[in-house]
Amino acid sequence: MSEQHIHPEPTSFWRKYVFSVDHKVIAQQFIWLGLSFLLIGGMMAMMIRWQLANPGQPFPVIGRFLLPATHGVVSPMMYTALFTNHGTIMIFFAVTPIMIGGFGNYCIPLGIGARDMVFPTLNMLSFWAMVVATVILVASFFVPMGGAAAGWTAYPTLSTQMGTPGGGQTLLVLSLFIAGSSSIMGAVNYITTVIRLRAPGMTYMKMPLTVWGLWLTAVLNALFVPVLASGLILLFFDRTFGTKFFITGAMIKGGGDPLLFQHLFWIFGHPEVYILIMPVWGVISDVLPFFARKPAYGYKVTVYALIAVCVLSAVVYGHHMYTTSMSPLLGESFMVLTMIISVPAMVLFLNWLRTIWRGSIRTTVPMLFALGVVFVFGLGGLTGLYLADIPQDLYLHDTYFVVGHFHLTMAAAVFLGSFCSIYFWFPKIWGRMFNERLGKLHFWCSIIPITLVFCGMLLIGYSGMQRRLYNLESYEYAKRLLPMNQFVSVMAFTLFLGQVFFVSNFVYSVFRGRKASENPWELGTLEWQISSPPPHHNFDVIPTVIHGPHEFNNPEVLKKLGKDWLGQAEVIPGAEAVHEPAEIAQAGE
Amino acid sequence: MASVVSLQPRAKEDFTSYLGMMITLGAWGVMFAGLFFIYAGVRLAAPTWPPPGVPKLPVLVPTLATLVLAASSVTAQRALTSIRTAKRDQMRTWLGATIFLGALFLGIQYTIWSSVHDGGLTMDSGTYGSVFFTLTYFHAVHVAAGVLALVVLLVRASRYTVHQHGAVRHCTMFWHFVGLVWLATFVTVFLI
Amino acid sequence: MTTRNQVKVVGGIGLSGVIAAGLTGFVALMGLSFWIAGRAHIPTLQGLAGSRPERPIDISLNGHLGDYLFDLTTVEITILFIIMCIWIGWAVLRHNEKNHKAKYDHGDDKRANVSTAILAGLVFVCVDGVLLYNSYVDLNEVFWNFPTEAQHPVIVEVMAQQWAWNFRYPGPDGKFNTPDDIVTFNDLHIPVGRPVYARIQSKDVVHSFYLPNFRIKQDAFPGTTTRMWFQATQPGAFEIACAQHCGANHYKMEGAITADTPEQYAAWEKAQVAEAQRRYDPGDVEAHWGWEWEY
Repeated sequence: MSEQHIHPEPTSFWRKYVFSVDHKVIAQQFIWLGLSFLLIGGMMAMMIRWQLANPGQPFPVIGRFLLPATHGVVSPMMYTALFTNHGTIMIFFAVTPIMIGGFGNYCIPLGIGARDMVFPTLNMLSFWAMVVATVILVASFFVPMGGAAAGWTAYPTLSTQMGTPGGGQTLLVLSLFIAGSSSIMGAVNYITTVIRLRAPGMTYMKMPLTVWGLWLTAVLNALFVPVLASGLILLFFDRTFGTKFFITGAMIKGGGDPLLFQHLFWIFGHPEVYILIMPVWGVISDVLPFFARKPAYGYKVTVYALIAVCVLSAVVYGHHMYTTSMSPLLGESFMVLTMIISVPAMVLFLNWLRTIWRGSIRTTVPMLFALGVVFVFGLGGLTGLYLADIPQDLYLHDTYFVVGHFHLTMAAAVFLGSFCSIYFWFPKIWGRMFNERLGKLHFWCSIIPITLVFCGMLLIGYSGMQRRLYNLESYEYAKRLLPMNQFVSVMAFTLFLGQVFFVSNFVYSVFRGRKASENPWELGTLEWQISSPPPHHNFDVIPTVIHGPHEFNNPEVLKKLGKDWLGQAEVIPGAEAVHEPAEIAQAGE
Repeated sequence: MASVVSLQPRAKEDFTSYLGMMITLGAWGVMFAGLFFIYAGVRLAAPTWPPPGVPKLPVLVPTLATLVLAASSVTAQRALTSIRTAKRDQMRTWLGATIFLGALFLGIQYTIWSSVHDGGLTMDSGTYGSVFFTLTYFHAVHVAAGVLALVVLLVRASRYTVHQHGAVRHCTMFWHFVGLVWLATFVTVFLI
Repeated sequence: MTTRNQVKVVGGIGLSGVIAAGLTGFVALMGLSFWIAGRAHIPTLQGLAGSRPERPIDISLNGHLGDYLFDLTTVEITILFIIMCIWIGWAVLRHNEKNHKAKYDHGDDKRANVSTAILAGLVFVCVDGVLLYNSYVDLNEVFWNFPTEAQHPVIVEVMAQQWAWNFRYPGPDGKFNTPDDIVTFNDLHIPVGRPVYARIQSKDVVHSFYLPNFRIKQDAFPGTTTRMWFQATQPGAFEIACAQHCGANHYKMEGAITADTPEQYAAWEKAQVAEAQRRYDPGDVEAHWGWEWEY
């Protein structure tokens, strides 16, 4: 077992708050960064929805300042930049920092009983690399000819100099490359930490499912973000050095093939969506048993299901490319595999449902958000079935149906999952309690609009409207969908405004909330057995783990200790020693 | 000498950074694999390869480059085993040899690039030029970074001991990695 | 009874009180959104009724196959969704801490695993399996079963560009890039009752040739050809849309597809061929964008 010395706390402002190597500080830095970009990405979405609902009207209140050249009206070119950057920001600069950079950093060492990550300096560099990436991204908006505008998918040849001339797209490519490096650095840290620093007795099958989710996310990150990096390098070279990997066309001699980029992109892109959802899957798999006061149903099966999804994630990517006239055999293989990958997801879902069944549910704010995730992910996942099927996808591909589907599974589920995580770990991270009533209000004002927005999009896509349209007026079959688009927009504005309940609650409670005890939720995982917030070195003594993370309403515990939860390192009085010391030491390897 | 010293607790710490480095190199390798994937895609889709009108690539000089880089891997490994057996001066020598061979490799690459340039192949002359220069330039950047790291090791050599030489091991691992990538490049670009 | 230290958990009556408060807040926010939407358009109920979800009219021979699978999937999914909602609702309302003691069950015994396997397997076979089987048949017998030369399909080459559609028919000689080629701009004519075999390319960026009324689309690439086939069952004028982001004016890349009766089509073709031969310019290299046809 690696020795974990207690290092003295840093004293200077810079070492404590700016260039900290403490995983807890870095986690908070990531969370603040992610929340800021969530706001920016959300504002972009509001502008997109405004333009679709009220074509040609100036964006209210701040439109004049954001878009002075057109007096607040979103122009077609600006619109393309908006949806491009909305997608890029939400994926790489909001969700990734919050769930993976933020909660990954916070929960892994505490969850496994460690003092910090194995490579603390690398951890700090990973955050600052992300900051550099965001600076470059913001810079890309201010270059002549504007920012990137080829969609977050950046398909060539639109994303090459001939399709999107100027520096904006190039800067975006550079920004993503650096953000990718940040993810890979984090992944190396997380993978190695879980392998090497689990507390004695913490076997893999005793880890909280949050740690499992985050660890598998890191594995996917390490495996597939480099694929994106290679695609970005080649795109960068095509844009900057005149190479012709993806450039071809009537006027170009000896060009390459834009379709190759799509292959490379989606070999990354499909695992990426699992990277985005897996931390939430992990958190939900813990939060549901925590507040249902019963063990997670089928812990081992859940773990195997998560692993199965990871393994299958790379071989289903072709379902993003059904309309590229690929060979029938290839198309059919992707279709079958895509249907197969729904099985482990289904199993996961079943285990969640069976966890809450016959429980003793406490409807706390985190639990409400967790149930919300189950709801939207169930809905979103089911709609994926339509798209997995080629005959249906030939009609639905690149329509709003796809937008509705991936927002439900990726955005709505991760949005609600992020808030579940924030509310859940709030007492631990900031040592204070948030306002429960505001939290519940936030929940209802989020789940209702978010469901309506994206179900509305499913219906709009079903009616044939394609995506990335500046307005619907060109197409007769789409024109009649304007009122429905307006409804979706109003719901979107409602969702955006509803976040005020979160912002006010969050900001107030971080500074002035009631002080939290060490275990306000009455849970058994290791982070809840130490003070809120934890000391710099986390654990005074590295605990020796005996039980799993979800020992709720264990009859023996109820009888002997008079409570319905059991700490992972807590000894039941009079219980036989289940593990020999040597066994414990070995199990901790 | 090493067997006298009890390495148990430190061996485990060494394994942690070794694991981290292996994962890093794995990720890095996947990135190079992506580049080779595009090379394969572009090459298989082309009606003929090499396309008509491109100069023939040399074989002898790149083979020499391969041998130089292979030799440098040997010297790098010798540097590592030197510090593992507490022979710091030997380590300095082997590091120096590796740096020299690495720089020699870069010099040879430069001559290859010049001769190919003179033959009319540039980065923007179609997919053939794109593949050739992207793979070789990108690899060369990694060699240069490796040489720089080795120079830093050499400068700081006095701080490495039998018990504390993680940086030496990591740089050596990186150097072998760079050599393997060159092997793949050499075979797929120059030979077949 | 468990002790609480700090969290006042709201269950039972309290839960519905919070739901009520939540809904009120939500409606208030919606009102605020409407007010901000202010001078611009607010959807009226009438407008929403006219805007109800409905697929564009299907005039194709094979569009009903995809539509059928969609409707089938919807039925299956709705059943599963309703079960899920009832499950969650029941659990929250009847198995909560006010009225239910939790069952200590890890769900990892043989019985649990077998039931999980059976449930997952059942859903996979009944839902996914049915879809896979039907799709396999549809794809092999219809979608990928392209017309052969013997079936005399209408063959047309589609060249997408920023931001319009170019079409080229081979004309009476059956060859492309010859003087009798009919080349139209944003205007595709097809006869009812004959299969149309389209090969698609792009001049510049990736587009997508989308026919909503035929339930089909294929992407258009520079440098490679994609293909699709379709057939109209009734005459009329419909739309071609671009379904892949292709630049600032992607939203305006509308084309017209007109399904003519066989007589109308023959007359149109004759007039077009005459016009094309009159206007043919052998020196215009760019106009010879056609390529050799392969079935």
